[in-house]
Amino acid sequence: MGRPEQSSRMLHLLGVNLPDQKVVSVALTYFYGIGPLTARKICSKLSFHNECKLSELTESQLNQLSGVLSEMTIENDLKRQVTANVVHLRQIGTYVGKRHAMGLPVHGQKTRNNARTAKKLNGRMLRKYSTVAETAFARQAFGMFQSPLSRHQQD
Amino acid sequence: MNCLAQNARLALKTPSYIAAAGARLLTTSLVIAAEKGSNATKPKADRTQSMAFTKKENTTKKVRSGTATSVNMSAANPVYYTNGPKTSLDLLSAETANKARLNTFVQIDDAFLQNTGRGRCPGYLDADFKLFGKPALLYRDLTQTLVDRLAQHSEAVPKRATVLDGLNGCGKSAELLKLASVAATSGHIVIYAMSTLPWVNSSRPYGPGYKSELFVQHELANELLRSVAAVSREALSKVPLGTSVTLGKKTLEAEKTLTDLVDIGMQTPSLAHDVLDQLLAIASKQAIVPVFIALDSVNTLWSNTFYRDQEDVILPANRLRLVRSFLPFFEGEAALAKGWVVGATSYMEGRFMPKSLKAMLNPPPLVPLANPELSYDPKVANPSASLPFDVVKVNRLSSAEAWAMMSFYQKANVVTTPLTEGLVAKKWVYANGNPRQMFAGVTTYF
Repeated sequence: MGRPEQSSRMLHLLGVNLPDQKVVSVALTYFYGIGPLTARKICSKLSFHNECKLSELTESQLNQLSGVLSEMTIENDLKRQVTANVVHLRQIGTYVGKRHAMGLPVHGQKTRNNARTAKKLNGRMLRKYSTVAETAFARQAFGMFQSPLSRHQQD
Repeated sequence: MNCLAQNARLALKTPSYIAAAGARLLTTSLVIAAEKGSNATKPKADRTQSMAFTKKENTTKKVRSGTATSVNMSAANPVYYTNGPKTSLDLLSAETANKARLNTFVQIDDAFLQNTGRGRCPGYLDADFKLFGKPALLYRDLTQTLVDRLAQHSEAVPKRATVLDGLNGCGKSAELLKLASVAATSGHIVIYAMSTLPWVNSSRPYGPGYKSELFVQHELANELLRSVAAVSREALSKVPLGTSVTLGKKTLEAEKTLTDLVDIGMQTPSLAHDVLDQLLAIASKQAIVPVFIALDSVNTLWSNTFYRDQEDVILPANRLRLVRSFLPFFEGEAALAKGWVVGATSYMEGRFMPKSLKAMLNPPPLVPLANPELSYDPKVANPSASLPFDVVKVNRLSSAEAWAMMSFYQKANVVTTPLTEGLVAKKWVYANGNPRQMFAGVTTYF
């Protein structure tokens, strides 16, 4: 947890530059892992009114905010946790882990067409731990689990 | 020049009709060249400098479109910008509030508006006053009735609180403003909140109270104390505390007055709530100076707020200390020894009008039951007619009031067409006597 430094427009808090003129509940969503609901809960906990801007916060309020944020799993900690979860699933040989490894949809979506997002994004957490050749091999090796109709879809 | 020479040669070589067209083209070119030559002697207009509008300097704040220029009215074109008509109006005060002012427009003191609302006005009145050029309101029959009641309640007889209710735009906030203005000039201690919406709409800072379930709003309490001090300093100085009052580390002796008490609240925002509670407690028990408490948008006292507690649960208004200070007066749990407590409802923000309160203020017509025995059945819906406060309905304008309003609009150049009885009657009927709708009817084009 670093000391918050105030510039003219941006507030640097926990490694993230927050826009100074934004309402607190909106500015908090700039953190990875904090959405509108979590931001609202943080503001309620610290008694920040709905129209409170970051520039209006006092030093003690900013310290309280830093304290609350540092107790949460956000930013790099959260990314590491998600990656670790996916790697774990792969290592214990689950279906979900295999789908991540193959870069295919995980939640039972169809792959006959679409599935573009999954093919683009899934498995990127495992790519650090495997090469492209390994991913392609994994797809070939597990291709027997794919339905015959969908084989022609795979590159 | 090469082009012109070429055209001339072409004109000589080509057949006659083409030659004629070419000759015309040549002539036109020569004329244009001549004009250009003659214009070179006139000074060019400087289009980089505007006469009336100057651009504001770049600020750190992003300005919305339409606000990037400031108008210098001294350089404005007099054909388009004319000064508004100057109408002289009597200032509304305790002396001028009498039957002689009925159906005339009176002016609210600018200083009073500055002290109570920092220049802002309740409801839609801001735009109206801007159009008129001054804060002017119609002195109605209802206004005179309320002024008479104010004088009656100045006697040392405790009364129930009163709530002004009516349709949107019927003049509730205007009546309350007039009453507060009269009370301020007649020596009352005036505690006037122009709108209680900022108390509940989560636009101002709040925080949990110390060892209390209530939430505090020091800034708002401080502002309220400042307005009380600015409007009623003389009246406050006439009321001694009666007992010694301890606020934080400061102690006020019994001989000190309410002015000293309010000054502490103004200087120390963290003590504002304690000071306000003490002020209300002492002022409501004393009978030296009458007290006038006026809250606009009083319905917010019973609504849910936009604030949330630490568990992210929506706070009802009675969890706010500022609301709790005034709620007992409207629920019959506290009363003034000398004075009057008035509230005005507001339907501008429907989210802060509880359904139960709306039903109590506007009960459905009581239809006699076909089976009289059902009236003894407790399960049969029986709308509650018992309210802890009195309700005064602000009704539609009378014909005389409508005529007075339209006459003033004509003097203020809001209405430019000649005023006839037929026109006023038409506007009055179309608006159903609602002042807001009448104003909209004369100011909108479509």
